[in-house]
Amino acid sequence: MIEAKDINHTFLLGKKQNETALQVLTNISFSVAKGDILAITGKSGSGKSALLNIIAGFMKPTSGSVWVKEKNVTNFSEGEFADFRLDNIGFIFQNFQLIPSMTAYENIELPLVLKGLPEKERKERTEQTLEKVGLSNYHQHYPSELSGGQQQRVSIARTLVIEPPIILADEPTGSLDSETEQEVLDLITGLNKDLGITFLMITHDEEVARIASKKIHIHDGEIVKEEVSA
Amino acid sequence: MNFKDQWRFVRSNMKRSKSRIFMTVLATAMGVTFLIVLASVGFGLHSTLIADILQDRSVTQMQISGIENDDGYAPITDEEIAELEKIDGMNAVTRQQRLRQTPRFSIDDYNGSTETVVTHFPSELKAGMELAEGDLPEKSYEVVVGPHFIENIFPKDLPADAEIYDKEGMLNEDYKYDESLVGKEIEMVVEQNVDNEIKEHTITLTITGIVEPPAKNWLQDQQVYISEEVLADVEAFTETSRGAVISEDQPTSGEEVEGYDNVYGYADSLEEIQAIMDDLTEKDYMVYSAASELESLNSVFTIAKAGLIFIGTIAILIASIGIFNTMTMAVTERSSDIGIMKAIGAHPKKIKQIFLLESSYIGLLGAVIGTVVAFVISILLNIGLPRIIESAFGQELPEGFQFSSIPPSLILISVVICLIVTIISGLKPAKRATEIDVLKAMRREM
Repeated sequence: MIEAKDINHTFLLGKKQNETALQVLTNISFSVAKGDILAITGKSGSGKSALLNIIAGFMKPTSGSVWVKEKNVTNFSEGEFADFRLDNIGFIFQNFQLIPSMTAYENIELPLVLKGLPEKERKERTEQTLEKVGLSNYHQHYPSELSGGQQQRVSIARTLVIEPPIILADEPTGSLDSETEQEVLDLITGLNKDLGITFLMITHDEEVARIASKKIHIHDGEIVKEEVSA
Repeated sequence: MNFKDQWRFVRSNMKRSKSRIFMTVLATAMGVTFLIVLASVGFGLHSTLIADILQDRSVTQMQISGIENDDGYAPITDEEIAELEKIDGMNAVTRQQRLRQTPRFSIDDYNGSTETVVTHFPSELKAGMELAEGDLPEKSYEVVVGPHFIENIFPKDLPADAEIYDKEGMLNEDYKYDESLVGKEIEMVVEQNVDNEIKEHTITLTITGIVEPPAKNWLQDQQVYISEEVLADVEAFTETSRGAVISEDQPTSGEEVEGYDNVYGYADSLEEIQAIMDDLTEKDYMVYSAASELESLNSVFTIAKAGLIFIGTIAILIASIGIFNTMTMAVTERSSDIGIMKAIGAHPKKIKQIFLLESSYIGLLGAVIGTVVAFVISILLNIGLPRIIESAFGQELPEGFQFSSIPPSLILISVVICLIVTIISGLKPAKRATEIDVLKAMRREM
């Protein structure tokens, strides 16, 4: 489903003409099969976020290629990647990334609006998804009126509403307390089992990584360990 | 993302910065108002001058005064009329001859003398002669009269000391014929000097209509318009050309008079005027048309109006700086929202469209408000300015003088200029929105 081939990435730091190169990823290769949950773990600054951003298309690697659903997406233009993401990739962010001026309902409906679906279908799917994440009573609430856990559920609902085959999660429980963290993890495993959604998540938390079927540990930009759960 | 949803986005975004948007729309509206009001002066003066030129004349009308020949000048006769009527694009050729005596007209107990004109009614009908009341004559002894004819007939048994006219020189209401003339029988009395004895001949006519008053209110039309058959009747009695009265003082009065006094050609359309004029000039006709006068006037005013529109556009360009500023601030304020939208799959084109829609909406609102305000100012100018000029300079402006005029074409030009300028000023901020880096934008949110 997702394949990274020999990814290298270097950041240029400092003023122009006096830049220093910082290698953040070195020869990263891995693959995620359909229906798997891959956890990329590593300490802060290990390069795991850079790797997720490259796979998501937010950054282009210095070298190497990314394949999603057997398509080489590395050289996609911004517009092409936007269309591809809208149809195939959902996101769960550590900081939820909800639009503060929109209600929970409007945030969840947003991807369907971007897809240009008819209003009736949007309403139906948004309400169903709100119910699925247990937020039917909060649809008119703004993000600032919701708890961290509720905001993350809205964020997950926004992802689920387009029924993507792949979800990329960036520290999905990083801003949550332990009780809410478990709720979110249960939701992720449930979605993986029930809908067969492929997950690629980065986390520094070994407890979170435990739900993954495959784990990759990154240290200083290199894969140092790969584990497959029984 | 369809247009309706983009529109929803724009409206909700604009609600968030109401006062800033209001000020930007206000500046745009002021620019549009300035442009329209400024240019409307050019349009107003142009239309006033055109109306002045075309008073009592049709734009397709050509005055054909005669034909140049070896002797200098010859009047238009039936031979030339036949030639003129055959010209391509000529709709009608009207012609009039003045009766060479002033007959007396009697209607009921009223009578009066007035000039009489022989008119070829079929050609007048074709040329579109306008009547204020009634219809054009269909029979030989039917006539139409000028609108001021009624002011030239008085009761027959007036006392010698009767004050017929009031202080303003108008016919005293007490002596005015107060019934409608249309359908009334009228007696025309012509006379001839036979062996030093005045003999009279009475012809009974029926009034079928009253001619439209001349546009210039100081012009009077008291004439009676008779047919060629009535003229033949008069000539049979007087035995002179056009009913001239033989006088010993003027031995030439009975001589034959050729041609018509007034000949007008009417083209099918304005486009054909120039070709007909060129053709007639080549054939030595002495011809004049308001259209040729209008042509030079139009070219002067077109340049003047273009200049005024250009100056007005500068005001909109100044307003566009405000739009650019507002849109740039909007992009900066919403960069995290834009980042999120891009992350979940918003195409950069759609984001650009949303911002362009917003700047266009500001432009459109400004254009609509500006146009309405310009209309109000234009009306006030047209009402107020003549009064100000009258009280300040003691000079009365001519009737129908229009200082400011806003034709649909001016509105269209202003709205199009406004929209183009606002869209252009929104282009750069919209492009900036599409270039927002997703990661930087989302980091800012964190």
